[in-house]
Amino acid sequence: MSSLPELKQARGFKLFWQTVWARAYPRIVGSTREVSWMFFETVLPLLGVAGYVFVYKAINAPPDYIGFVVVGGAMTAFWLNVLWSMASQLYWDKDAGNLELYIVSPGPMMAILLGMSIGGLVFAGVRAVVILVLGSLLFGVVYSTGSLILLVLVFAVTMIALYGMGMMFASVFLAAGREAWHLSNLFQEPIYLASGFYFPVKAMGFWVATIASIIPLTLGLDAMRQLLFTSDPTLGFLSVPIEIAVLLVLCVFFITGAYFMLNKLEEIGRREGRLTERRR
Amino acid sequence: MVENNLAVHTEDVMRIYKLRGPKRKEDPREIIALDEVSLDIRRGELFGLLGPNGAGKTTLIKILATLLLPTSGTAYVNGKNVATEMREIRHEISMVSGGETSGYGLLTVEENLWMFARFYGLESKAARLRIDHLLEVVGIADRKRTKISDLSTGLRQKMNFVRGFISDPKIVFLDEPTLGLDVSAAREVRAFIMNWMGDHPESTILLTTHYMAEADELCDRLAIIDKGKLLAVDSPRNLKHRLNQDVVFQLTVEPLGPRPSREEMIESIPGVRQVTVTEVAEGTVLQLILQADEILSDVLAHLTRRGSSLIALEKREATLEDVFIDLVGRGLDVDTSHTAEDRDE
Amino acid sequence: MLLVNRILDISFIRRNHAMRSFITAAWLGWQIESNWADPFLFAVYSIARPIASVMILVVMYSVITDSATEEPIFAYIYLGNALYILVGMIITGVSWAVIDDREHYRTNKQLHTIPMSHFMYLMGRGVARLIIGTISVLITIGFGMLFFKIPITFQLVDWPLLLVSTGLGILALAGLGMIMGSLTMMLARHFWSIGEAVAGALYLFTGAIFPLDVLPSWIRWVGYGIPVTYWLEVARRALLGPDAIGFPTLARFSNLEIIWILGGFSVVLLVLSYFFYRWSLHTAKEKGLIDLESSY
Repeated sequence: MSSLPELKQARGFKLFWQTVWARAYPRIVGSTREVSWMFFETVLPLLGVAGYVFVYKAINAPPDYIGFVVVGGAMTAFWLNVLWSMASQLYWDKDAGNLELYIVSPGPMMAILLGMSIGGLVFAGVRAVVILVLGSLLFGVVYSTGSLILLVLVFAVTMIALYGMGMMFASVFLAAGREAWHLSNLFQEPIYLASGFYFPVKAMGFWVATIASIIPLTLGLDAMRQLLFTSDPTLGFLSVPIEIAVLLVLCVFFITGAYFMLNKLEEIGRREGRLTERRR
Repeated sequence: MVENNLAVHTEDVMRIYKLRGPKRKEDPREIIALDEVSLDIRRGELFGLLGPNGAGKTTLIKILATLLLPTSGTAYVNGKNVATEMREIRHEISMVSGGETSGYGLLTVEENLWMFARFYGLESKAARLRIDHLLEVVGIADRKRTKISDLSTGLRQKMNFVRGFISDPKIVFLDEPTLGLDVSAAREVRAFIMNWMGDHPESTILLTTHYMAEADELCDRLAIIDKGKLLAVDSPRNLKHRLNQDVVFQLTVEPLGPRPSREEMIESIPGVRQVTVTEVAEGTVLQLILQADEILSDVLAHLTRRGSSLIALEKREATLEDVFIDLVGRGLDVDTSHTAEDRDE
Repeated sequence: MLLVNRILDISFIRRNHAMRSFITAAWLGWQIESNWADPFLFAVYSIARPIASVMILVVMYSVITDSATEEPIFAYIYLGNALYILVGMIITGVSWAVIDDREHYRTNKQLHTIPMSHFMYLMGRGVARLIIGTISVLITIGFGMLFFKIPITFQLVDWPLLLVSTGLGILALAGLGMIMGSLTMMLARHFWSIGEAVAGALYLFTGAIFPLDVLPSWIRWVGYGIPVTYWLEVARRALLGPDAIGFPTLARFSNLEIIWILGGFSVVLLVLSYFFYRWSLHTAKEKGLIDLESSY
């Protein structure tokens, strides 16, 4: 052991980024290890999206609505990822015995959460792209070639806010313990409904749409639809610039929220001894 | 002010767990896991905490590893307060527990170790060098590319060891490190600990165990803990020396018969300090700590009166188990987590 | 407990291996699953999720048709979606029990070494989910009648047709669920969702939320090969009366013919599931997967 060179250990910002990439790694690599997942993660959800497409066809909806469903269906990948692989993850890590090792290590917990997010984003991104591409090809969705830069901006801001929310939820769900599983279930279909995954959120009425806007995908999806489908500009809930502004506020809110929740949780956990207890 | 040469220093550390959802009024509401524990561990020591399940060993480790706050009292690791300076402490410690299932099953041994090494700020290349080296030392270099879900318990624990030592920590907390391992794997793990201490004379290991032989073999000093209280702190040799004036006999008898009244019990014979009784296939084994050799004849006469015949008799050196029995009046294989009500009795 | 004890004390049940296993497992499943008595969990699983999922369709429909909920297709979509809850619950039930016993409670080893019918045990474990699913269906239909005037009139409902078809549909679904569960015996934990995924995919082919005629003609044939298609068709006819037959899908079949088809499916699927179960169990034992713990 003495033959090894003396160790240099990174601190501060460098340690933060090292931790981020180290935690993202298992997510990105893990998804390539079980190829069968890809089938369940892409083909079967695509069939689900197709179901909604045919409902619109059955009631003779305008063609853009089929595009709405395909885009919304693709975005479910990110929502499911945030619910099941972000929000509930710390709880599962606790169950597996990883959480205590994360806490004992000098790598900051915020970096670990960010690493989880980046890894999850890549994984869910693959699923979303497959649904989007195959769905568009199968159902002949026509996109407008408007502002690509704006579209990328909306997507980026939405993802930052969404995964910031996931990071915050991770602490909240950890505090909720076993109930986390039920919370994830609760936030599935009801959020698909409130956030307008399969129809323009404006249809939910002003107040529901406003309240649902706390979920970053609500406004993100609405803005993306406005940019991708220009046949009927009145379908948007708010104008794109306003939606981007609100999403930026959500980014700041969720990321700061995640930081404070995490510290609070660690403090309570250390005081009450709940960071490491396992219950079945 | 904490002395410079102390790796661990605790003052009157108490830890009380509130129990959730007691059903009836008489059900206990809290458990005292640590009861005014004051302890000093010097740098470079391999220090053992010896006690039965539920004695408070893991709780103390959790407090020192910054996972848990003491209910009252203070604890310092390398001179830093666990309650307020946990971020600094985390750069200097690591922890390995027996029966750990940490890591991600889909990743290989190397990938899991690399991930944790990065959490400790190691450069990628340095991490890989260290992983190769340590896997070689623990004898699982050929499993480097095996997914950890495919490892046996013993191999997984060796991997956990590599994880715990990869960052050259100043203080390592080993919580029952050989739990669930077979004899040869446990021996290899103990050899690894000894070698590592030899190579890192400035580092400190705090090890908890309920295996007497392990504590005896490994530790420079050890503390005997029961029901959250420290009962004795000394080197294994000195602890055993306490019983040097006494003699230890092991008797196998048949039959011992039903439990007699208090005044007819062996303990009532003058000069008998402790008795433990274990049933085995051949009969009943009695471990006796006596103040002098002569008292044995009184014990044998007592047994004859009770109709027991002697099958075997052995006089032996005192062990840590005897020390434990002498201190607490029973063996180590009993769960002793206790409640506030017990304490009040 | 008292009730189940009384049932198990009936002599022919006590002597019958399969019945005993089934009833004991149904009781066990109920003990495990009936946490829905907790108001929060009841709200999540029996109200929020099913109502939200049907409301997605209601809003989609309303946006396009300007809320023309009196059109027959609305009732078609609504009821199809409500009844489909049972499909998901039953198909996933057995897979869930397999994983639960194997990796959560870790009782699989014991279950396979005691004298009982494990096949019937797994069937029994699905009963609790059937009951919970039925409650969700009733709540969702009630919600539709109350808020969207789904035209169900109790006097006009063809109860015998509804009960017979639903009974046969449940048997066919139990067969499908058993096949999924058997598959799970050979797979790692992350396949617990296989049943849910399959249920989701069948949604597309069975005419649950749109008449099969909307699908390209070659895909329709997939739907004709799935019993759920027939069950949904005949259950809708039973609930809605003549209003239901507004679409060409399966219109050429009489109620009785559909019942026969459904009956045929049930028998075939149950027999098939039994043999598939035996094969899967054999394979699982061969590969040492009975007590698999696929933590990852």
